[in-house]
Amino acid sequence: MRHPSSLKQEFLKKWILGLQRCGFSSKKSTSIMERKKAIKLSADLAMASTRNGTACWSRALIANASRDHESKILAEQILGPESQSLKKASSTMPPVICSRRIRSKKILKRSCSSQVRRVRKIALPQKVLSANSVAKRLVQKRTNILKSLVPGGEYMDDISLIEETLDYIAYLRAQVDVMRFVASATEVVNRNSD
Amino acid sequence: MEPNSASYVPGSCPTRPEPEETGLEFLQFRDEIQRLMTVPPENASSFRALLELPATQAMQLLHSSPHSAAGGGDEHKRHSSSSFTNGNLTFPSNKALIERAAKFSVFAAAAEISPETSSVPSNSSANSDKVKTEPAETDSNPGSSNKTQTQKLAKRKERQKKGKESAKKSKNESREDAEKLPYVHVRARRGQATDSHSLAERISGTALVLDEIINHVQSLQRQVELLSMRLAAVNPRIDFNFDSVFATEGGPLIDGNIPSMVSPLMWPENPFTENRQNFQQQWNFDAVHQPLWGREEENHTFITPENSLFSYDSSANSASLHSNQLKMEL
Repeated sequence: MRHPSSLKQEFLKKWILGLQRCGFSSKKSTSIMERKKAIKLSADLAMASTRNGTACWSRALIANASRDHESKILAEQILGPESQSLKKASSTMPPVICSRRIRSKKILKRSCSSQVRRVRKIALPQKVLSANSVAKRLVQKRTNILKSLVPGGEYMDDISLIEETLDYIAYLRAQVDVMRFVASATEVVNRNSD
Repeated sequence: MEPNSASYVPGSCPTRPEPEETGLEFLQFRDEIQRLMTVPPENASSFRALLELPATQAMQLLHSSPHSAAGGGDEHKRHSSSSFTNGNLTFPSNKALIERAAKFSVFAAAAEISPETSSVPSNSSANSDKVKTEPAETDSNPGSSNKTQTQKLAKRKERQKKGKESAKKSKNESREDAEKLPYVHVRARRGQATDSHSLAERISGTALVLDEIINHVQSLQRQVELLSMRLAAVNPRIDFNFDSVFATEGGPLIDGNIPSMVSPLMWPENPFTENRQNFQQQWNFDAVHQPLWGREEENHTFITPENSLFSYDSSANSASLHSNQLKMEL
């Protein structure tokens, strides 16, 4: 895992770059929602591009941004010319990988399930078995929620999901720190200038 | 990033998650068990026999007198108080443990999360309260330790009642207490890694961890939303003046007027400003960004003061590193 302060530097660099790029063409957007969207989007893309596509969530983030109609133009603007390769990688990888993984998982499950049933059949009381299933259901529910939270999480199995989540959390923390820093600094500046 | 260490601090009031509290109870029970072990064999053998019984048989054995166990809850308190001076604690606490195990095996019978089981944890933890206060009394500790124990138990009780899996959790903890006492801080007993009960415990532990992770991710994402909204509200235009931001904040930062949350970032800020200087140097040569910087320079005259303001002593290595990174990107 990269050092957090270098992470923040990279993120800030790319974020400034992205913001300047997207404000370059249009000077008319003054509504707060548009500004907020632009800021958030550029921050997300900066985060994702610092990873350079080595993490699944970053690719998925970029892919989602470029797929979404309203943010597509902005995203392309922000990402700029040097990210063509990145966009290509992000657009092609997730669907291919997910379909392959899902197919292989299904095959594996089919082959294993026939064996597992014959291996161990201890006569447990019914209620103990249902306790297990209830617990499993809880874990499954939470895993689904996590999959919906982490970008690109739907295509991963449990173990890699946890790894991606850890990575994503580290990046989210860096993003929050930098944004908070800049926000408070601008507020101080505004207060001083008033 | 704070790692969630499971270190046990004796006597501290825990605001930490479950494993540490159960660790505390482990140690308490271990002391108790050690006292029991020195007992005449008859009592110890009955207790050990209870441990070794599989859950179902134990349940059948003890299920025959659940109400007597409830009734005996009051009695054994009196017993223990009377036997306190004698030092013969073993018989009543043994009985108390058996009653506890009975209560919790009754749980095992009704392991689904149902409203009736939620009432039973209160009974059991009430019992456990009594059981725990007696060994505390038998110690030569003053009542303060007693109070902390009951506090911790009360907290555990509350948490159990609040949690969705209250029945399961109390059952799991009690099972751990009643059966894994010789061991300290072990989640799965030897040779029982795939046992149904320990499996259920581990799965519910996983569910709790996942819950924490989900809450953390959600809170971070919400913070990002709020901060971007805040930034959008503060700035009138999209490409807001980073120059003014970084130039004028140098003064307040040095004076220490900025709120404390910014000051931890003062160290990483040094490389930030370095980057900015590198930006300017690099981009002066880059045709694409020249119009951008030209516009910026028209509006603000902060660039030259900025160079003089931030004369931080930075290592040459980091400076060359940043410039290399920039060269790679551009």
